[in-house]
Amino acid sequence: MSKQPAPAGVAPGTPPVLQLRGIGKFFPGVIANKDVDLDVWPGEIHALLGENGAGKSTLMNVVTGIYQPEEGEIILDGYGQTFTSPQEAIRAGIGMVHQHFKLVQAFTVAENIHLGWDEAPRIASPAVMEARTREISERFGFPVRPDARVCDLSAGEQQRVEILRVLARKARLLIMDEPTAVLTPEETGELFRALRAFRAQGNAVIIISHKLDEVMEISDRVSILRGGRKVGTFNTADCNPSMLAATMVGRDIVRRNMRARPEGAAPIATDPVMQLRNVSVRDDRGVDTLRDVSLDLYGGEILGIAGVAGNGQRELTHVLTGLMARTSGEILLDGNLVDRADPALFVQAGVGHIPEDRLRSALAPSLSVTANMALREYPYPPIGTHGLYDAQAAGGLARDIAELAQVTIPDFAMPVRNLSGGNQQRLVARREIRIASRVLVAAYPARGLDIGAIATMLGYLTDLRDQGVAVVFISEDLEDLLNVSDRIGVMFHGRLMSVIDAEAADMATIGLLMGGRDATNTQSGAAQ
Amino acid sequence: MATRAFQRLPSAPAGRILVLRLAAIVLSLCIIAGVLALSGHSPVVLAELILRSTLGSRFGLEDLALFMCPLLLTGAAVTVCGTIGLWNIGAEGQFYAGAIAATGVALGLHGPAIMVLPVMTIAGILGGMAWIAVPTLARAYAGVNEIITTLLLNFIASLLTYYLTTGPWRDRISGAQVSTQRLSVSIPEMWGIVHWGFPVAIVIVIGLALVLSRTRWGYEIRIGGANPEAARYAGIPVRLRIISVMLLSGGLAGLAGMFEVAGTVHRLQGGMANNFGYLGIVVAVLARGSCLNVIPAALLMALILDSGIVMQTQQLSASVVLAITGLILFMIAIGDELAHYRPVAGATPKGKAS
Ligand SMILES: Nc1ncnc2c1ncn2[C@@H]1O[C@H](COP(=O)(O)OP(=O)(O)OP(=O)(O)O)[C@@H](O)[C@H]1O
Ligand SMILES: [Mg+2]
Repeated sequence: MSKQPAPAGVAPGTPPVLQLRGIGKFFPGVIANKDVDLDVWPGEIHALLGENGAGKSTLMNVVTGIYQPEEGEIILDGYGQTFTSPQEAIRAGIGMVHQHFKLVQAFTVAENIHLGWDEAPRIASPAVMEARTREISERFGFPVRPDARVCDLSAGEQQRVEILRVLARKARLLIMDEPTAVLTPEETGELFRALRAFRAQGNAVIIISHKLDEVMEISDRVSILRGGRKVGTFNTADCNPSMLAATMVGRDIVRRNMRARPEGAAPIATDPVMQLRNVSVRDDRGVDTLRDVSLDLYGGEILGIAGVAGNGQRELTHVLTGLMARTSGEILLDGNLVDRADPALFVQAGVGHIPEDRLRSALAPSLSVTANMALREYPYPPIGTHGLYDAQAAGGLARDIAELAQVTIPDFAMPVRNLSGGNQQRLVARREIRIASRVLVAAYPARGLDIGAIATMLGYLTDLRDQGVAVVFISEDLEDLLNVSDRIGVMFHGRLMSVIDAEAADMATIGLLMGGRDATNTQSGAAQ
Repeated sequence: MATRAFQRLPSAPAGRILVLRLAAIVLSLCIIAGVLALSGHSPVVLAELILRSTLGSRFGLEDLALFMCPLLLTGAAVTVCGTIGLWNIGAEGQFYAGAIAATGVALGLHGPAIMVLPVMTIAGILGGMAWIAVPTLARAYAGVNEIITTLLLNFIASLLTYYLTTGPWRDRISGAQVSTQRLSVSIPEMWGIVHWGFPVAIVIVIGLALVLSRTRWGYEIRIGGANPEAARYAGIPVRLRIISVMLLSGGLAGLAGMFEVAGTVHRLQGGMANNFGYLGIVVAVLARGSCLNVIPAALLMALILDSGIVMQTQQLSASVVLAITGLILFMIAIGDELAHYRPVAGATPKGKAS
């Protein structure tokens, strides 16, 4: 391939920060990358696009020394380089924020920031580390709580810690793998401001994202991978979202209003399947994370939940699936009071759950794909009979799920963490849909999916609705929410602000409610 | 700039581990031979003697089997607990508890062996379970770290054994020190001095491997160990599973104690656990979480122990033997770690500057 010229604005003679030449990376049965050439120049934000499993994460793992390429070379500032570990990469100024966080859950934010850092003070008391962390967090404009334990943080908060970790280590090339997947719009705005400031100092950013609008907004150039190979690199200014999507997927993607029901679809049930009555949850710190929420779920209906992440969505999902005990209020399943929070009870009642953080709560990353796919059905035949576990039947189930989810898996015995993030998500979704005979609680089910897969995922939800299942669809994407929901509830500070008819709803109203503005005039349009 | 590059793999392939472990053992044997030669012993003569008195003779093999028997069970006890992500450091104490309980039955219950032995077996298992009960409940209900609690109980069990064997249960017949009298019943022998406890232990280990891979309970344990949060999400009663696994683990170690009392030593003696409980941890580490691997791991450990005894007969002090044991295990640990590294091939750029 011919050498790409430096983009405008780069002084002549400046070498690219990073050049990849003919990179190839193979896993047993999978060509993750092949013949990939890529130039990243100082002062540019370079977006990397591609479908789930296209090899984006793998390519970036090659650049940061987590994997060694089987073919090709990595050239940094004009010199050939081999990194054998991320530590070497960061010393050379390449830092990466991963798709799946790599923080020590039991440590505090400050400890995580200082972990394995050459510049950490030799004698580091918690107070010193916290003060330093506070200073760093202010310098880069990412607010964090230095003394909080990582396991208590939301996904968005954890990511801020990851970013700070890298920025604090003076990276010149920052690689971010789907950073905005877990961020609220405001947080995304902040992140982009920080990235632009970072670029203005002559640094470079590679950002992987499935959100084309964001790619259009933030990037200078875009490279697209398909099936492990690079399709091309384009100036963002010459692109538009639909062209990017088509290049990425190799076909056109049609978005349609999915609220309309096909003929023969189950009507909305008259009696609710599940009801919340004034449910509140108080966390260990004494904060009310869910306040006085009342909600009715009806079979054959999709209830969308909008809201900025961290406003009680996680608690709501957990209460609806029996993972979290309520502090007060009542939960009714089929009109019967549920007296204890027991996930097994909800599973038996046919409640499926796609959680927001698949690796942390829905999968056992180190176990095989097969073992993970059996997680919901192992007690029942054909896998579980007479207290036994039939590994063969589990294998069959795993193959079924993978086929429905359209994920090709070379080896079902390999650990599930080897799958690409999007493919893990697809498998979890299909697994949960299988058991969701009454209710599906889907928290950000499209997170990490490419845009073709998002359309498929929304189709799954409407299929369930048409079968008479009650679907709770939590998302930050208002367009997706309006596309499939029958009613939309908005959460703010743990409160369910109001539940409005999706027909009558518009983005502006929902936006106001998401900001905590109690728009009394929308009450007239509220259902029930 | 790194010129010789190694990459660390997140999980080491089994084949590499095996090769590197063999290399580690050979290397440590060379070091040992060198040191022995320097200190005036002939390594060749010693090696020949050791081989003859372990693998090379019937008596040696019988001894090996007797060493393996408790190691199989304590190794399995630690491995099973590890499957759900917990460390039972207290197999030593549970071993004593099982031995004490079985001895109590044998001393108090007079009758034909066919009747007494099953009661002793049950008592041994229950004794081990009782010894781990408090750590189990503390872990399950209060989240108290099981490593500390199980460890501390070891000392109590050991001292209790000394108390019993010098106090109320001391041998009043032959006057043996720190020992009870010879028990009236014993596990029948099947091959020389090897009692039936040995094949039973092998069967138990294989059975456990099957239970862990082929039963619902085993599946739940594996999920619970790999990601407790996912286990909760799937509705697995993690707390109950922790309790059952820890009790099972204690029961296995207790059974080891009963076998030792009723099959090998024939009396309760102070210090009779012989570190079998702690060595169970070593066996479990060598077995890398797989029950079936416990069998070769226990064999290796038994070989080391047995060789040690042979060396002691050759005027090598017990501490030399301990040092040798430590060296071999240390080298194996290094081998395991090295198995994670792989030289980077083909990544060195051809057109490298300079
Ligand atoms: N350690 C591994 N072992 C085996 N296969 C792997 C491993 N890591 C990645 N793969 C495979 O390589 C392919 C590319 O995966 P990768 O994670 O790079 O995709 P991606 O482009 O980041 O996708 P996504 O958008 O879903 O995150 C996938 O088919 C994946 O299953
Ligand atoms: Mg990825």
